Amino acid sequence: MPETIRRLIRTPQGAIGSVIVIIVLLAAIFGPLVAPDNPETFNYGNRFEGPSAQFLFGTDQFGRDLFSRILYGAQSTVLMAIFATFIGTGIGAVIGTGSAYLGGRFDELVMRLVDAVMAIPNLLFALLIVTALGASGVNALVAIGIAFAPGMARIARSVALTVREQDYVKAAIARGESAGYIIMREMLPNVIAPIVVEMTIRVAFAIMLLATLSFLGLGAQPPSSEWGLMVSEARSYMFRNAWMMIWPGVCIALVAIGFNLLGDGLRDALNPKT
Amino acid sequence: MSASPVLSVKDYSLAYGTSAGTFQALQEVSLAVHSGEVLGLVGESGSGKTSLAHAIMRGLPPNVSLENGSILLGQEDLTGFSQTKMTAIRGRRLGMVFQDPSTSLNPTMTLGTQISEVLIRHRGLERETAIRESIAMLERVGLKTPDAMMHRYPHEVSGGEKQRVVIAAAFACQPEVLLFDEPTTALDVITARQILDLFRDLQNETGVASLYISHDLALVSTIADRVAVIHRGKIVEEDPAEQIFSAPQDAYTKRLISAVPRPDRRLVGDETTAPSGTLLKGRDLTVRYGRPGLLDFLSKDRNKRVIGAQSVSFDLAPAEILGIVGESGSGKSTIAKALVGLNPFTGAVDFDGKSLTGRRDMDAAYRRAVQIIFQHPDSSLNPRQTVGTIIARPLRRYGLDREAPVAETVAALLRDVQLPEDYARRYPHQLSGGEKQRVAIARAFASKPQIVICDEITSSLDVSVQASIIQLLLDLRERHGTAYLFITHDLNLVRQIAHRIVVMYRGDVVETASVAALARQPEHAYTKALLDAVPVPVG
Repeated sequence: MPETIRRLIRTPQGAIGSVIVIIVLLAAIFGPLVAPDNPETFNYGNRFEGPSAQFLFGTDQFGRDLFSRILYGAQSTVLMAIFATFIGTGIGAVIGTGSAYLGGRFDELVMRLVDAVMAIPNLLFALLIVTALGASGVNALVAIGIAFAPGMARIARSVALTVREQDYVKAAIARGESAGYIIMREMLPNVIAPIVVEMTIRVAFAIMLLATLSFLGLGAQPPSSEWGLMVSEARSYMFRNAWMMIWPGVCIALVAIGFNLLGDGLRDALNPKT
Repeated sequence: MSASPVLSVKDYSLAYGTSAGTFQALQEVSLAVHSGEVLGLVGESGSGKTSLAHAIMRGLPPNVSLENGSILLGQEDLTGFSQTKMTAIRGRRLGMVFQDPSTSLNPTMTLGTQISEVLIRHRGLERETAIRESIAMLERVGLKTPDAMMHRYPHEVSGGEKQRVVIAAAFACQPEVLLFDEPTTALDVITARQILDLFRDLQNETGVASLYISHDLALVSTIADRVAVIHRGKIVEEDPAEQIFSAPQDAYTKRLISAVPRPDRRLVGDETTAPSGTLLKGRDLTVRYGRPGLLDFLSKDRNKRVIGAQSVSFDLAPAEILGIVGESGSGKSTIAKALVGLNPFTGAVDFDGKSLTGRRDMDAAYRRAVQIIFQHPDSSLNPRQTVGTIIARPLRRYGLDREAPVAETVAALLRDVQLPEDYARRYPHQLSGGEKQRVAIARAFASKPQIVICDEITSSLDVSVQASIIQLLLDLRERHGTAYLFITHDLNLVRQIAHRIVVMYRGDVVETASVAALARQPEHAYTKALLDAVPVPVG
């Protein structure tokens, strides 16, 4: 493992990606501890202010400290996105690996279903699920997880197909192992590397998707400081204080770029041929 | 033999820079090939023989960190040549034939285009002349319909035919030196023999200087005039071919020669007759590949699936070693996989008083008693599990972990296969090829099987490693009384250890005979051809 990390840091995209992601994760975990202000405290005397010594990023329409709101929002944005990706990846990896292992008509059936689901754009599919389940942060998370599963299933399957041809899988079949054991213990650990790469890149999409859902009012609800929601609320006050929109927008972009770079770096680092 | 050599390598050293430091691939190698002569270069994997070929062709990878000495073609030193200058020499003055003909031909061009282009480019012939010359050359290499061949694509001809085309292209330019890098390794025994005969004819006819690189000492000694043995980047010995087997000088050469399988040197003591009794019996085993199509019942030829093996019958006695030989596609591995439930089959397997007629009948007791070891140890060990986990799995699976603590049993198994006990904590990639195969053997023996199926288990290993693995298998058999179903394409090897041999050809069993009978009087024409084709060590 240290070898992988060394290889990751040697590439520029891996190094930059790692730094951004580590900073973001630290902000998400320790943000509330270091935030100078309560994100929901109104300061009526200081509405629509630009960055200053007192309010690092400025204030919004209620005079709430934007810096504190961003820090608190990191938790609901980034951690939720990672969690949603984990759900999607977990479901997708098991479906894909299982489908590749069982093969034949079952594989055919599963993959055609996956094709059908993938024909619906991710955002539309997530919207559909949220509409059915009701608008809330948790439901948005579930929706993104489900929307991601088919894509992950397809990637997992393509890797698992080559793993299935390996002799250790045949040896396990010859031993009379159960399908569950072979999928979970013999195949999945060998499918994981490319999936981790895909997952890192997908976190970036999840953040944007989550922000979009919140922006549309279907994800996190006020007074949450989820970044997408912050952008959405700032829309009405764009000309009175542009900072309200710039900060969460920049943060979303930065996190997305960070995870994308990390994914690219990981892809190179985990591929022994480069 | 002319006075000055056509190709001479003098004090040539080569090192690669890798992430783990520099790797010395070649150390002060000196060789000389004269016109009309075949120099054999023999070495095991990693000995530097392919590096030398690349160095002569100037096709070295970019991570070369050090290069010393000279490579002289005639009077010119190739080491100083630029790539543009080499382009004029490669093909024209220096020809090369690679191991795998399916990758050395372009799949999107007809054979005719590929061979005539060589002539146009290197000999400056007109298109029509080049095509006429190509046809003549294809005829010369023994292809039956050269005109038709010109219009075919590589995938439309067999591996042997492809290699003939590659050889035709190499000889067509009348080069001064030809390099052969294991040209028959990817081919079947009989095809390989034909290619070798062709090589010898063309060699005598053209009087080209040839450097023949191979891992197979027996094969090289039959075709080369002189043999050089390379070990860890150094030439350890160079001898006339007749002497290398009878009077080897270097310690490494001696070791290599003693490891080369020779059918006249039996390894199972005086056992020539097979043990009596029947442990396992295969009756009319037939394996079909592919799955029937959904609408197949509508068409007439509904049984048109590919047949992997047809009506194969054999029996195996307790503690017997039964060899199954045949070329690729003969169905020998297909049968092995059917016996361990990896292929669906029809027919029956009789074992332990029961008759199994399908994969469903294979219960845990049968699976415990019949184990398989695969060809590639890289692929048969899960890279994400430690050696300990891998070996312990059959113990847990068959409930043998209740008899003794798992860790102790694993340690004992590792000792049995002559590996240190602390290997249990290692991962497969930290082991060498031979060590990995030992782990695979330990896993197979963990469940105390009565039968172990060895599917080409030594064919991806070096000769010296192969010899030690075979010795290990024989020791284990001595101790546990295990019967082996030994599948291989190496007739010399199987004749050393097996009691009886089953010969398979295109899915059918053509002959089953004891080793002695097979050597004395093979019944089937195919068996005879196979026996004749195998190069037997000279001297």
